[in-house]
Amino acid sequence: MSEFVDECRREWKRLRVPDPIANEMAADLAADLQEAEAEGASPEQVLGSEAFDPRSFAASWAAARGVMARPRVAVVRPLHLHSWPVRSAIAAGVSIATIFVGLAIVTVRRGSTSVATASPAAVRQPGPSGGVFLRQFGFGAGPPARLILGFGLVVLLVGIVGLVLWSVYWSPWADPIRSGRRRSSIDDGLGGPGF
Amino acid sequence: MATNERRRTELLRGVLDLCLLAVMQEGPAYGYEMTKRLRARGLSIVGEGSIYPLLGRLERDGLVETHRAASNGGPPRKYYQASREGRQTLADGVSEWRAARDAVDAVLGPVGTEVSP
Repeated sequence: MSEFVDECRREWKRLRVPDPIANEMAADLAADLQEAEAEGASPEQVLGSEAFDPRSFAASWAAARGVMARPRVAVVRPLHLHSWPVRSAIAAGVSIATIFVGLAIVTVRRGSTSVATASPAAVRQPGPSGGVFLRQFGFGAGPPARLILGFGLVVLLVGIVGLVLWSVYWSPWADPIRSGRRRSSIDDGLGGPGF
Repeated sequence: MATNERRRTELLRGVLDLCLLAVMQEGPAYGYEMTKRLRARGLSIVGEGSIYPLLGRLERDGLVETHRAASNGGPPRKYYQASREGRQTLADGVSEWRAARDAVDAVLGPVGTEVSP
């Protein structure tokens, strides 16, 4: 009969019945079965039809006492635009995209500026259309190019600041309180008197 | 035969908690002791579910009080006794049972148990 009790113990462990309660139930059951055996009574006379199904017996006893932890069910919620993960992902995406745009503008403008700076030396060579060539490049390397470069730097800066703010407030490793997330408590499902 | 057993199980299921509360009236008892008291009155739980889940429910509902005490030469046992609420539940349940039994008897009483060929 100790095999029956052991099987019950395994089932209670699986059902996350607190150890002190499982030990108490196992001790009571073992004592009753031992007494019945000493008196020549069959396990069926103690346990009824459940004498042949220890797992079912253990589960129904634990459930009746209200000492079984509720199974943790993974709830799959649809993603909404207002949900925290979506907003965080959007913020990160926008920040990174802004950084890339800024980098692209700065890189392209720097390239064209260096060409324009080198161009006047190249066009100093004698030639019939040298003056025109110099004027064309002079126009390309003028104030509008520096303006675009500055704009690119601003965009880059905005992207970096956005990414820093995201990592501080909204990233998965940010403080949950600052990021507006609430800590959730897990109900262990214990109930009933004394628990 | 299987139908008869099922019917007996169904009939007992509704009143087994009252039977347990009733045998506790004799004095506090642990699980197996209650089984023996029931058997002494002709009510065997062989073929029925165990009384342990039922005792667990009675405890959870506050219908019984428990304490742990040493048994005769054996390990400490958990003793159950009906609480005040449990005694009230028993009294109400017995009234219900008697009313239901009388009504059913009025219908089934005249019916013979022998079936003519």
